[in-house]
Order: sequence, then C-alpha cells, then structure tokens
Amino acid sequence: MQHIVGGVIVVNTETIAGKVITKNLGVVGGSTVRAKNVGRDIFAGLKNIVGGELTAYTELLDESRNQAISRMIADATARGANAVINVRFATSAVTAGASELFAYGTAVVVE
Amino acid sequence: MSEIIVGILVGIGILLAIFGVLWTLLFTGMFVYAALFSTKNVENKGVEVAQREAETLQKFGRDPLSNIRKEYRQDGIDSGLVYANVVYGPSYWHLMIGWFGNIVGGQINILHKVISTGRALATQRLREQAELAGWDEVLNVRIDTSALAPISSPSRVKAVEIFAYGTGVKYKGSGNE
Repeated sequence: MQHIVGGVIVVNTETIAGKVITKNLGVVGGSTVRAKNVGRDIFAGLKNIVGGELTAYTELLDESRNQAISRMIADATARGANAVINVRFATSAVTAGASELFAYGTAVVVE
Repeated sequence: MSEIIVGILVGIGILLAIFGVLWTLLFTGMFVYAALFSTKNVENKGVEVAQREAETLQKFGRDPLSNIRKEYRQDGIDSGLVYANVVYGPSYWHLMIGWFGNIVGGQINILHKVISTGRALATQRLREQAELAGWDEVLNVRIDTSALAPISSPSRVKAVEIFAYGTGVKYKGSGNE
C-alpha cells in the first residue's frame, strides 16, 4: 500500500476521515535531488526523438518522490506525529538531467 | 614509444568517427520514423487512454476524482495519499512543427495534443492507483506539470513530467472495508 508508511497517515486534505486532530506540530518536509546514469540518459535521449512516454524517467521520478515522502515521514515521526496533513509537492529542474523533488506538509497527532 | 601514442590516438579517432557515423544514421532514421509515425502514435495512445478511462468510470459508476478540498460526507472511515506520474514528450518532428508555429504564432495543435494525452494518461493512472488501493473516491486532486530539463540547456531531454495526486477516502458500507 503506498499510502501508509510506518504507521503514519499521509493525506493532502485538511482533515482526516474518521479522525480528530488533537495537536499541531508544525511543517515537516523532505526533498531529494536525483539524476539518471549516462547510459540510460542516452537511451532516453533516443526515445525522446520518437516522442511519447519516457519510462526510465517516469520510474526515476517515482522512486525519488517516494524517497522524498519517506524523508518527510521520518521528520514527522521524529516530532512524535502520527499523521501528516495538507501535503503538497514541488518539482524543479536544478541542472540538466537532475530534478529536485520536495514534499511538505503539517505534522499532527490524531485520535 | 611514439608509435604507440600515435596508434592510440588513431584508435580513438576511428572510434569517434564510427560513433559519429552511427549517431548520424540513427538520428536520421529515428527522425524519419518520428515524422511518419509519431502523430499516429500519439493518437493511438489517446484512444487507448480513453478506453481505459471508460472502463474505470464504469467500475466506479462515476469519476472518482474531484478537487473538493474537504470531506463532504461524514461517513469516511479511512484515508490516505494516492499519486501517479508520467514523463511525456513530443517527438523532434512535433518540436519542429512547434518551432515553425512559434514564428507564425497562434495555437500549436500538435503540441497541445501531446501534452493533453500525457495529462490524460497521468490522471488515468491516478484512477487506477485509487482502484488498486480500494479507495471509493479521491478528493483534493492536484495536477502539477513541470519541465524535465531547464530551458537553459536546450540539448537535453525535451519532455514534461505530469504528476497527479490526491487523498483517497473509504466510506462506511461501501464493500471495500
């Protein structure tokens, strides 16, 4: 299941269905910068000539985003939270071939 | 000694020449392929995504995605993040058409079609993820679009990443518990 990691509930709404928020622990975030290796970059470059989906990059960004989310969750757990609400994502291209993925949200305690 | 150095240099030169020739042939071949088939490929992908979408809509009975910000029903029992992404790019042929369109101005239909197909694919993947996780509905859906390479490096991959995410909700008595 991609939605519950280490017992922490992650949502991008302001409330959680069936739960009451009792404590606000502030903003938590996690980010990662990743680049593909040269070999797969060349293949993706070739695929780019033909157009369509670049599967290697889809997978790369998916993995990186999972890492950013798990870092955010580690941050929340360190503060003693059991849920992260109102999660947002930001993506930016730092240099050619490398992307920064950033996930942030509010750590809360729910009952 | 000097003969060995000359030999190595000549060897490197020959390798580079072979690589150059291969690259030229490969690039030309793929460009011709793109010119002939890439528009058709995008259209086929669009039709395929539309079919998958119709199947999912039939399963849910309606579109499970919405960007309402809060739970509007009181009988939710579980919720969690659901997300899906796709990296989708136009072919070099489409980019060339786009470049010509840039001179004339106005709407560039083919690039619009490529990005729309990519976005339809991302939202459909979000629906499929929601179905896989057993959510009844996805609230607060956001769709982010970002360029993969910065504009300052024109030689790099030309594609956009479309990332769709939202909060899946399960309702009481929906059979998914």
